[in-house]
Amino acid sequence: MSDQSRIDIQNVTKTFGGINAVSEVDLSIEGGAYCCMIGPSGCGKTTLLRMIAGHETPTSGTISIGGQDVTSLKTGSRGTALMFQNYALFPHLTITDNVAFSLKVRGQSADARREAAREMLDRVQLLHLANRVPSELSGGQQQRVALARALITNPKVLLLDEPLSALDEFLRLRMRVELKRLQSDLGITFVHVTHTQPEAIALADQVVVMDHGVIEQAASPREIYNKPHSPYVARFMGGQNVLGGTVERVSDNTAIALSPDGTRYDLPDANDVKPGDKVRFSVRRDRISLADKAQDASNSAFGQVTNIEYQGTFVKVSLDTGQREEFIAYVDDEEYFAAPKEVGQKVYATWKPHLNHLLRGTNDSAGMPHE
Amino acid sequence: MSGSSSGSSSSATPYLQVAPLALIMIAMVGIPLATVVLLSFWESDGILIYPTYNLQNYIDVLTSPVTLSLFLKTLKFASITLIFTAVIGFTCSYFLVFHVRNLRWQIALFLLCTIPFWTSNIIRMVSWIPFLGREGLFNTLLIEAGIISQPLDVLLFSDFSVILTYIHLYTLFMIVPIFNSMAKINPNLIEAARDAGASSFQILRYIIIPLSKTGLALGTIFVVTLVMGDFFAVRVMSGGQSASVVSAMKNEIDQLYYPQASAMAVLLVIVVLIMVSAVLRIVDIRSELAR
Amino acid sequence: MAHNNGARGPAFYFLAAFFALFVAFLYGPMLIIFVLSFQGPTGGLTFPMRGISTHWFADLLSSSRYGDLGGAFQRSIMLGFLSMSITAVVCLFAGLAFRRKFWGAGPLFYLSIISLVIPGILLGLGISQLFQLLGLHLHWWLSALGAHLSWTLPFGLLIMFAVLNRFDPSWEEAARDAGATPRQILAYVTIPILFPGLIAVALFGFTLSYDELPRSLLTVGGLNTLPIEISNMTTNVTTPALYAIGTMTSALSFLAITTAFIAIAVIQKRRARAHGDQAE
Repeated sequence: MSDQSRIDIQNVTKTFGGINAVSEVDLSIEGGAYCCMIGPSGCGKTTLLRMIAGHETPTSGTISIGGQDVTSLKTGSRGTALMFQNYALFPHLTITDNVAFSLKVRGQSADARREAAREMLDRVQLLHLANRVPSELSGGQQQRVALARALITNPKVLLLDEPLSALDEFLRLRMRVELKRLQSDLGITFVHVTHTQPEAIALADQVVVMDHGVIEQAASPREIYNKPHSPYVARFMGGQNVLGGTVERVSDNTAIALSPDGTRYDLPDANDVKPGDKVRFSVRRDRISLADKAQDASNSAFGQVTNIEYQGTFVKVSLDTGQREEFIAYVDDEEYFAAPKEVGQKVYATWKPHLNHLLRGTNDSAGMPHE
Repeated sequence: MSGSSSGSSSSATPYLQVAPLALIMIAMVGIPLATVVLLSFWESDGILIYPTYNLQNYIDVLTSPVTLSLFLKTLKFASITLIFTAVIGFTCSYFLVFHVRNLRWQIALFLLCTIPFWTSNIIRMVSWIPFLGREGLFNTLLIEAGIISQPLDVLLFSDFSVILTYIHLYTLFMIVPIFNSMAKINPNLIEAARDAGASSFQILRYIIIPLSKTGLALGTIFVVTLVMGDFFAVRVMSGGQSASVVSAMKNEIDQLYYPQASAMAVLLVIVVLIMVSAVLRIVDIRSELAR
Repeated sequence: MAHNNGARGPAFYFLAAFFALFVAFLYGPMLIIFVLSFQGPTGGLTFPMRGISTHWFADLLSSSRYGDLGGAFQRSIMLGFLSMSITAVVCLFAGLAFRRKFWGAGPLFYLSIISLVIPGILLGLGISQLFQLLGLHLHWWLSALGAHLSWTLPFGLLIMFAVLNRFDPSWEEAARDAGATPRQILAYVTIPILFPGLIAVALFGFTLSYDELPRSLLTVGGLNTLPIEISNMTTNVTTPALYAIGTMTSALSFLAITTAFIAIAVIQKRRARAHGDQAE
């Protein structure tokens, strides 16, 4: 199964009225992987998904599924099934007939296809509603019908367009678990478009972060989170502070960068920069300690507390460091309440030098991190 | 982002789909209208028509004192009808949208207002005769109530009966668009206004009327064009005593003066289109319909 | 505006009375001629009723005094059905086309609107003179049908726009994703979902054509439609036979309206409630 459901996207561009929705994208998704495509609206993720599904044809480039070039193959005959954002259930058909629809258009007899549809409905625990019409179902039930309808043809690839966005928070978390379980049961490739970072991180084997029609980074969630490629990825995925400076010197694989306010930072694994380069780097917000006095002038930030938010397991403290972006520390609640801060207070934020991560990508746009 | 074009259906599809409509509209509206314009430059002696291409018909129509009085009469009919239909249409829509709380009732009463649209205008017009005549219901009632001693002649076969018929026939063309505009008003807006201390009248004046503008404008276009295009009601209900532009045109057609009638028609269409575009200038219907 | 306060104020009762008066104004005269159409044989055009009979209906059907009413009625029914079918089919596809941008969409839309707002008789004049210039004969089933379509198609198109406003294009995409051909999408998804709207378009197509007068007058040729016959009767006939024909034609209109409403209601109900295995 796994080779059959591998997706290779090569140099794909899609132009709408002279504007590139997707530009020269290269991407390989392993067969049987759970891939999440994420980015702000308008970043091209949905267009890329629709091109894999065959609802849009690439302006140039090729798309292969299981090694077969499907670029100009009709949708419905390329082994993909798309689950629509609003589910797009047919309002005039019972859910049995909704699920059986693709068998109907393939010419299967009414009895055979209804039997198959019932089996599929049983699998998503909706058999008892088989004769209802979609308007009588709850959002979660509709979502499962859409899933059953998509899966009935045994697709090699299931494409999901923001499948959880219409559900409330509680249901969303539950369906997230079900999706993941279903995917590992079926062993087919899932490509899931979302704009919610925790969803992508929780579900995916491979996260694809997009912006302005290009892929910023495609990697495992841990890599994306710990080693973002660019300031944009760091900001969009959240949980990071992005800082900047100029390289002073490089020695032993470590670059020393000097920030405009005179603080020095050690950047590990940075032998590809040279003195004088302007660099950006990130540091995770949850790895930062706050102190009233400076211990070491380097690898720290100094600023005034502008906001304090209790988050249950940690406390979010925002600092104004005189830079463009506010600096945020997620302080463990026990540690914080041992030495509480006040708004207006001046504090030092410090962290271990090896936590600095050099951002090699140039995309410096703000992103819209969902906390 | 969710690109509207679809991968597999070809770009020729909309042309094939729209071709029947386009062909019929061009053959039965576009070319016939061009024919009327063409005809308006020709000549007729009441028996035969001569293709001559001159402006004589227009000169005749524009210099005739009858033309001006016909247009004024038509505009009078249109404006009086407009005022009444707008007030009645607005009031009824307002009642339906803001006072009838049950959605089922709202839809049922709305349909009650629109059903006559699907019935014959001629019959609805004729149905006023037993009501308004010398021995009609209305006069009988007034005499029996002792309000008048002699039956009123003005009720039937007068400008009054013509305008009454127009109001009767065309008010639903006001109700439907105004109702649609009003139904789109978010009830929260009214609660917000009330919260801010607005009186019912202020809510009407500053919230509901401005937000119903599109419906009023559409209704105005319907009513004005319907009244200005009518020849039948004015002929039957005035007993032949009143005339409008189109009824005069109809007389010329009956006497086979097609070119003269065409010239009059072209002038009327110009006036109608000017009025319609004036309304469209005040309210951008196209963008508001898309809401 | 009694929305948020529980009790109904005087404004409600004033407006309700106004509305009731309007409804009486709308239907009252019609009800009166329905009653008067059952006048006794000696009855006149106004009250009082001189007995109750179906004399004037019988008179209408048997007497030759009223011209070719039966033939006119047949022609109007035929025209109504022709206009209805053509309007439903043409407007369905045109409505689908207008969802996408195509060259000439704007001018075609404006041509349709112009056809709605210009005086009908003028268009009738245009069509009849065009036929004259081309040396064609006027026929109710050709020139008058064309004139009726110039009236029913723009209405149908506007209704299709409203209907398609609530049609989610992803239904069609979902069908395509399931492997349906364009023809299957149309037959299994688009038309069934739009069906209640198409019934509304058909209702407009039939009734607008069946009652059409100004566009028919000059285009009908030698054989009249029912509204033309009735309009002639308004000046010639001074007996309750006039009301009898009014009652009959209105009854037919109401029948068409009721049929359409019931059909729409049945479909909506089926969609809103659980039902057993569905017919193909």
